[in-house]
Amino acid sequence: MDVIAAAEGLHSTGLEPDAGAAGAGETVARARARGPWRKAWDRFKRNRLALISLVMCGVLVVVAFAAPWIAPHHYADTDYEALLAGAGADGHLLGTDQLGRDILSRTLYGLRTALIVAFGAELLALLCALVVGLAAGYRGGRAEQGLMAFTDVMYAFPSYLFAIVMVAVLGRSIFALIVAIGIAGWVTQARLVRAQVLSIKQREYVEAARAMGASGPTIAVRYILPNAIGPMLVTTSFAIPAAIAAEAGLGLLGLGVQPPTPSWGGMISEGTRYLLSAPHMLLAPACVFALALLAFTWVGDGVRDAFDPRGDRR
Amino acid sequence: MGVVRFFGQRLARLAVSLVAVSIITFGLLQLAPGNFADIQRVTSGATSIAGTGTESMLAETQARYGDDTPVVQQYLTFMKGVVTWDMGPSYRYAGRAVEDIIAAAFPVSATLAVLAVLLALLIAVPAGVFAAMRQNSKADHATMFGVTLGHALPNYLIAAFLILIFTAFLGWFPSSGWERPEHVFLPVVALALGPAAVLARYVRSSMLETLREEYVTAAMAKGGPYRTVVVRHALRNSLIPLVTVVGPLLAALMTGTVFVEALFRIPGLGYYAATAAASRDMPLLMGTVLFFALIIMVVNLLVDLTYGILDPRIRAEGGWTSSRLRKVSTQQV
Repeated sequence: MDVIAAAEGLHSTGLEPDAGAAGAGETVARARARGPWRKAWDRFKRNRLALISLVMCGVLVVVAFAAPWIAPHHYADTDYEALLAGAGADGHLLGTDQLGRDILSRTLYGLRTALIVAFGAELLALLCALVVGLAAGYRGGRAEQGLMAFTDVMYAFPSYLFAIVMVAVLGRSIFALIVAIGIAGWVTQARLVRAQVLSIKQREYVEAARAMGASGPTIAVRYILPNAIGPMLVTTSFAIPAAIAAEAGLGLLGLGVQPPTPSWGGMISEGTRYLLSAPHMLLAPACVFALALLAFTWVGDGVRDAFDPRGDRR
Repeated sequence: MGVVRFFGQRLARLAVSLVAVSIITFGLLQLAPGNFADIQRVTSGATSIAGTGTESMLAETQARYGDDTPVVQQYLTFMKGVVTWDMGPSYRYAGRAVEDIIAAAFPVSATLAVLAVLLALLIAVPAGVFAAMRQNSKADHATMFGVTLGHALPNYLIAAFLILIFTAFLGWFPSSGWERPEHVFLPVVALALGPAAVLARYVRSSMLETLREEYVTAAMAKGGPYRTVVVRHALRNSLIPLVTVVGPLLAALMTGTVFVEALFRIPGLGYYAATAAASRDMPLLMGTVLFFALIIMVVNLLVDLTYGILDPRIRAEGGWTSSRLRKVSTQQV
């Protein structure tokens, strides 16, 4: 609610938060002409850390996509000549694990697993949240009561525990992980959509559309949904690093993807077992994992600041 | 509204939520192939339970749940076991009853959680005060950068780095086990850093707010030493909102120790829940999940009651459902 209100407030006063003294009038004029999206992007661009992180995320996505071509070895290829070889060993830039599998390749494929699961889960969560949230907010009634009752229960059910139970039921596959993490995370977002819809529903333009005879679903999708997307984007961009962490966490518990498909959590768990003889087994995935999490989190921070200029800035 | 009525209503809601969690979990586990008693037979080979005890255990499970009893009947049987604190044998840990495992594991997780909260407070309060007093200085920015790191990185990743530094390179602390005092250090630090970041941010913004209050200006104007004013007037008042965060944090930690326990091989509740899920030990998984949910709900209830005591306005309104804080408790740690 706040985000939209803030965006509108800015719009009506023509106030650009960082407009300098020189050319301020011009900036204001330009800002008026631009939509809220363009203004959000302008604010995002000014945050250097977020911008660098966005580039970093782009690189990570490309690397994950191109892992089969970039990785020097297949993730399951074993090299019995070089078991637990240290970094820089022959043909293994970051060394090998206890089965002689290339750590660099496994880390890259682990990135692939992490991103597929994270984006898949978030897409699923977003879809569920939009459908249920829109229905609950716009129609009210049973959908709303059901959602509220369900969220109350889910708040008492820690999301990772729910994911653990789901994986125990669905088995260990990428699809199972997507469903487990997605279902565990959608409820909070559905509640947010509902809150958005409730506030937007009162706006004059929605009333106007209703007066002109637009049907319920049309109003919900054409007039309410586009205005609820900003805040949704903020939560989604924070949910992606959370989903990456969830995937690794499940892998750590032995509930991740089926081996030998690499997962960072599984690699970290194996790494602690060979800690003293081969610390590189733990170091490489942990560093890339941390890098990915930070990049996605900082993009999330940037998106939040871009859509909510009044929000707390560190 | 009377305190008794408020308390009663909340207790009733707690019971309903608990039943809902149990139905969801039991229902989901029913979707897994095989019935509740059957699964053990299917997977006992795969989970490599030693031959001893398995036969008697099978017989006991069989006697408890029957052969072809309907799902509802099995659920009721299980819930009766929960209420009477007799949940039958675990599949994975031959010869041990679920309630005994929970009773033995809970103190371990609770110890970890309490120590972690204490350490988090020890780190967060000075860091937050320090950052607030030097707002926008380099030290402030550095502290807040540390806070972002603590926010963004999950506790098992922090644990991995701690293990790398303190076990692999320095060799100061062991990386697994739970017998000697030195086993406690790394897991507690790994658990504490995330909550410390959350708390430090609260302390800082709360401090910044109180430092701007008129009574602080007045105390300064009276000419008291700066330090006394900060500690006695500002810090004291800015710690009140902290009370509201520590409760949910403790609940989140008590249930969020799963990953750290798995990584350090500590026999806590989370560790058992994870192994139960991995080996499809349904009674143990059901038992631990329900116990976790109970902890969270009870702590939330206690926190709401504390609010009522601390702030009469909430009492007057008849109980404020702290959904915002509950979100903190389940999502953030």
